[in-house]
Amino acid sequence: MIVVPCPNCGPRNSSDLRNAGEVVPRPDPQTASLHEWRSYLYLRENPAGWVTETWYCRSGCRRYFTIERNTATNEIRDPGNS
Amino acid sequence: MSIHRLPIRSGELIDRSTNLSFTWNGRTFSGHEGDTIASALAAAGVEVFSRGMKYHRRRGILTANHWDPNLAVQVGDEPNVRAGSRRLVDGMEVTAQNVWPSLRWDLGTANRLVGRFLSAGFYYKTFMRPQFLWHNLYQRVLRKFAPGGRVHWKTGVHGEYDKRYAHPDVLVAGGGPAGMAAALSAAEAGASVMLVEQEPELGGHLRWGGPGDLAVLADLSRAVHSNPGIEVLCDSIVTGRYDHNWVAVVQRSHPVAPERLIKARVGSLIVAPGLVERPYVFAGNDLPGVMLAGAVRRLVNLWAVKPGSRAVVLSANSEGDAAVADLESAGVEVVAVLDARAGEDVVGARGRGRVSSVQTGDGRTLRADLLVTATGWTAPTSLLNMAGDRPLYDRTAARYFPQSLPDNVLATGGIAGDGSTTELTAHGRETGSLAAQRALRLRHARRTQTPRSLPPESDPPDEIADNRIPLRRSPHPERYRSTTHGLVDFSEDVSSKDLIQAAGEGFDSIELMKRYTTVTMGPGQGKLETVNAAAVLAESRAVEMADIGTTVWRPPFSPVSLGALAGRIFEPVRRSALQGWHEANGATNLLAGQWVRPDHYGSPMTEASNVRENVGIIDVTPLGKLDLRGPDVANLLDLVYVNRWQKLEVGRVRYGAMVAEDGVVSDDGVTGRLADNHYLMTTTSSGAGAVWEMLEDWLQTYRPDWEVHVTPVTGGLTSINVAGPRSRELLGRLVEDLDLSADAFPYFSVRKGIVSGVEDCIIWRIGFTGELSYEVHVPSGHALHVWESLLANGSDLGVAPFGVEAQRVLRLEKGHYIVGQDTDGLSKAPTAGLGGLVKLDKADTIGLPELRAAFERTDLPVLVGLQPDEPTVVPDEACQIVAAEGNEILGRVTSSRMSPTLKRSICLAQVDPSLAPAGTSVTIQLVDGRRVSATVQEHHAHVDPEGVRQRV
Amino acid sequence: MSRHGYTYSAGKLLRHGLTRGAWPRMWGRPERRDSYEVVIIGGGLHGLATAYYLAENHGITNVAVVDKGYLGGGGSGRNTAIVRSNYLTPEGVAFYDRSLHLYNTMAADLNLNVMLSRRGHLTLAHTDSALRTMNWRAEVNKFLDIDSSVIGPEEVKRLTPSLDVSTDTRYPILGALYHPPGGIVRHDAVVWGYARAADHLGVHLLQETEVLDIVCAGGDGPEGKGPGGRVTGVRTSRGDISSPVVVNCTAGWASLISNMAGVPLAITTHPLQAAVTEPCKVFLPTVVVSGSLHVYVSQTDRGELVFGASVDPVGTYRVNGTLEFTEELAGHVLELMPGISKMRLMRQWSGLCDMTPDYSPIMGHTPVEGYLVDVGWGTYGFKAGPVAGETMAETIATGRTAELIAAFTIDRFTDGDLVGEKGAAAVGH
Repeated sequence: MIVVPCPNCGPRNSSDLRNAGEVVPRPDPQTASLHEWRSYLYLRENPAGWVTETWYCRSGCRRYFTIERNTATNEIRDPGNS
Repeated sequence: MSIHRLPIRSGELIDRSTNLSFTWNGRTFSGHEGDTIASALAAAGVEVFSRGMKYHRRRGILTANHWDPNLAVQVGDEPNVRAGSRRLVDGMEVTAQNVWPSLRWDLGTANRLVGRFLSAGFYYKTFMRPQFLWHNLYQRVLRKFAPGGRVHWKTGVHGEYDKRYAHPDVLVAGGGPAGMAAALSAAEAGASVMLVEQEPELGGHLRWGGPGDLAVLADLSRAVHSNPGIEVLCDSIVTGRYDHNWVAVVQRSHPVAPERLIKARVGSLIVAPGLVERPYVFAGNDLPGVMLAGAVRRLVNLWAVKPGSRAVVLSANSEGDAAVADLESAGVEVVAVLDARAGEDVVGARGRGRVSSVQTGDGRTLRADLLVTATGWTAPTSLLNMAGDRPLYDRTAARYFPQSLPDNVLATGGIAGDGSTTELTAHGRETGSLAAQRALRLRHARRTQTPRSLPPESDPPDEIADNRIPLRRSPHPERYRSTTHGLVDFSEDVSSKDLIQAAGEGFDSIELMKRYTTVTMGPGQGKLETVNAAAVLAESRAVEMADIGTTVWRPPFSPVSLGALAGRIFEPVRRSALQGWHEANGATNLLAGQWVRPDHYGSPMTEASNVRENVGIIDVTPLGKLDLRGPDVANLLDLVYVNRWQKLEVGRVRYGAMVAEDGVVSDDGVTGRLADNHYLMTTTSSGAGAVWEMLEDWLQTYRPDWEVHVTPVTGGLTSINVAGPRSRELLGRLVEDLDLSADAFPYFSVRKGIVSGVEDCIIWRIGFTGELSYEVHVPSGHALHVWESLLANGSDLGVAPFGVEAQRVLRLEKGHYIVGQDTDGLSKAPTAGLGGLVKLDKADTIGLPELRAAFERTDLPVLVGLQPDEPTVVPDEACQIVAAEGNEILGRVTSSRMSPTLKRSICLAQVDPSLAPAGTSVTIQLVDGRRVSATVQEHHAHVDPEGVRQRV
Repeated sequence: MSRHGYTYSAGKLLRHGLTRGAWPRMWGRPERRDSYEVVIIGGGLHGLATAYYLAENHGITNVAVVDKGYLGGGGSGRNTAIVRSNYLTPEGVAFYDRSLHLYNTMAADLNLNVMLSRRGHLTLAHTDSALRTMNWRAEVNKFLDIDSSVIGPEEVKRLTPSLDVSTDTRYPILGALYHPPGGIVRHDAVVWGYARAADHLGVHLLQETEVLDIVCAGGDGPEGKGPGGRVTGVRTSRGDISSPVVVNCTAGWASLISNMAGVPLAITTHPLQAAVTEPCKVFLPTVVVSGSLHVYVSQTDRGELVFGASVDPVGTYRVNGTLEFTEELAGHVLELMPGISKMRLMRQWSGLCDMTPDYSPIMGHTPVEGYLVDVGWGTYGFKAGPVAGETMAETIATGRTAELIAAFTIDRFTDGDLVGEKGAAAVGH
């Protein structure tokens, strides 16, 4: 049970939140080719190291926020966002 | 009966004024409070406690503590109880495990006769042919020989286990001298401390020490117990350390729960488990009467049990030397002391049922009934492994030491090094201060990270460097195996010979060897065996121990009952405000996702017909409901639904379908506009939570500029659907100031109003059942009143409740698909027949490129209405639609029922597009293999495809 | 001697027992060559099976299998060893059925007892919708001649008496998909069987050899990697190896290895946890799976209950396990079998699973010539090992994608033709 720092609620058990995965920018749906769109849908960097990811403070403030987490150690960096 | 009980010992744990009676294999014995099961039996002269797993050789006390592999017994309905540490309770029924017919006469001993053929991995090398014999015969026999106790799966119940959260600044695992000292200094530094000790009392190895040790123990123990900053948990085990210092403690001896799992978020974890004494490998080392030095010291000093009468002691360290003194003080004749430091050795023990003679390295044969070995220590580094450490082997000290630990995990005591009691407690104190300081800094940081917390009361303590003087590493001879072969793993019956053979066959890394021979895989998880196994491997490969590495100890530190891990099972179901009424009125329930709801009230077909003919009411509260407010709601709806929403007028509702970014249909429902900036959205019951989170995601991360506030009101509003040709008349009797006429309140409109005196009800006219119907959303506190009023005021109209099953029939007659039943994880919008709904020219909508791509495809399956040609045949849902000839699957029936209205079977089905045109005849393969024909219909709806009935 | 080297048999056991003679090595520790015809990355079940079938079926023996650790140290030795073929889609069923067929004759084929135990596999349904999915699977299975049917609670109880089939529980057992040929097998033995046979046929098993890079030429990306290029070899911790064919048979590190060739994958890596209890006398005759409760359980011949779950929700390369996994697991197991609360969990572990969006693997050729993948095995890689090896070997040897794996091509993500196993495989062990 790792501790995830919510910008509103402070450090919380990860069971209070939901991990929404790697941040992947959404291409413009009007101009994106299908290839670009499906890269956005399916391809992930999946690094063994630092990744920027989204969490949802499901049992707390219900806020989506991003943090940086090292997937090799589960170390979490000061999110630096508010 | 206590023939081996000694006169009073100064440190003994037993209370001789008590007398506890218990049975062992049916015979009655007695012991004292403070006895373990094993000590009471040993005092009464019992020498054999179990049989070996493979060869069923007799086994006696080896370590006389929690890790003793020979002391697993059955206590009542509890298997695998550690008789070496479990304290005696009056009335216990204790039996030996894995013996047949009895411990004394065990037929499994026959395996010994063929033992030479049962070498490591023998089962991989035979029974290959004929194949069926393996499963039908050999495996069955093998399963009979499975070790362990009996689980009472027929009669057992899940008891009142419990859980607790804790947030100590410092948690100390181990209540020996270093652990106690660490707890004290941490508490003195202002930290909240939890001190966890596996045994029922504090003290560790001091407990079986001399008067000096006992005096130190008394002082430390008194100080710990009287310090309000320290919570002491004895008879409790730290079973795991997980990421971010999440620490599991299993507490026994709880006044109520049989066991309690404590989950602690710990600032600093101090690991102070002491050391585990290692057995010595030589021929006959598993004979009863071969014991470790620690075992005889515990038996003599803690439980006043005389472990034998003539002893040989092989000593490589001070523990062995102390055992000699203890034995002599207990009146045991010490025949010989072999000094392993001077190269003396034991090469064998012999005896029938118990040691009777010992062969020494210099060729002597000594008559003795007790052989005591003291050949070194294993550092139980489990918790350190879990913190990422890979301990390093130190040749000089002949054991492993921690290598590198994260800042929030510290080691002290024997696991960190050697020293006198004074040195150990000094190291413990320094460790405690350091741990406290780090934990208090962390506490401060957490406090400042929490925006709404009170600000920290003071500045964080200064960071201090780790200036602890390391404990020394005393030289110790590397003694693992004698010149003869013996057991390495007592629980698994694995010998040094087996290990050498395995290495020779290519299993020459410790992990491969472990898997091939099962060494260290038993209940002790290698606490006693790991280092000896590594030593034998090093020997067989002729390399240094340090080059072998050890197996990584995984959690738990010691086995944990499933009951403790489960705790009280907390899996609530959701109930609508009307569920009590339903149950009181004959409803048969259905579990649907999180909800329990009425499937029917006796006859679903009658309920369905009543809706077609009169009027029915159904509780549809699980329908997801989201209250949406703000100027940008229409923009949001345009984004999340495939259709258009900008022009929805106040007072109107509209059906919408959602797809995910990959174009797969994900949810649907109706949304109504209650006021300029106020909408109510409904979702499927199972999708309620996901849709809510999805809306928040888009609003927060994609369009934070949009002003929309989302409030889930699924449980807050109880939803009642009033359906049937007489629904207008029924509802008309209960509403105030609301004109229900078709002109004033047309199909797909919404009104707010008073129903049966209840204000703020939301009513909309929709037609899931295909009938004239009104869905009334009532503030849940008043829902029962409205429900009962509907029934009370409509008896002349034939009103009756209907359940989920009748609703399923009605919606199928009407051809409404259900997301997740008639669609699946690959169904895109065209499959569900959403061609008319989807607007591809919107600026943005979820999954837009995939929607565009999907409508250009001609190969996607199509959802169609389907009727079996034989009207009485109701295919089971999921029956496959197949090619008339050959073996090709062309679709499947997704919904199927007998229609009470048409008196014939009706279906929805996903079919290959070639079969989609109306009038196509398709072949359905029934569950019993029969094939029947069916005809594709023009519409999804089987009843009233034009929708006349719902628009009246 | 047989075609797999020293033949094991009851007679040999007897002879070795009497003479106390040493057994020969199952495989060697060969000296690395500078080049091979095929280099396979990953010395687990898939890599070893691919190597074996290359040698056995196609006569290609100049093959190296490289692994950064020891043989079978990844998912092959961490899974819960369940085999079955009752999948949802026809392509899934055909594929896994071939695998089960290979498992059936494996002990004899490889001359090593892999202890296949076809004890029956029950997938419990606790809700109407789960029951509907079971029916769907059963109907597809039957159509393809797979022994698979939906049974009621009484039959479930008869097959597995320790299950609580009463109706007043939180997760009542409404029925089950029963698959008699499903069962368990000794996972390590499967690995060793392929390793021993491949080694004997001349394949080099290079343990403790870590691949540091894949060398490419002519591709669109940096260093000639990426689409349009071709593979020329690998760089390892023990020196460079040249080879025109490099096969990625890794699990857990598939993305990282594939990035070395400039081929990104539709994969996120999640841990899958498992646990085992202390041994108890055998009472559980079948393999029991509950999708809703995210748990599967079987009892080994040694009496231990082996538990597994669905993958952890948070992607990570950490394999040190979590407490919450054991808590949920225990709670759910006791929902199914309330009588076993006094059994003790003895060890937990986890392995890495490469999850694809459609719960199906990625197999075959890639846009980089000579670089093939056999990855994305999620939670179902073990049961597919033999057929994956056979089809990958065929694909390598013939240059044409084997028919059974055509649906699993890497192109399906760009073409939008995903495989429909998601519903069945979510917790489909």
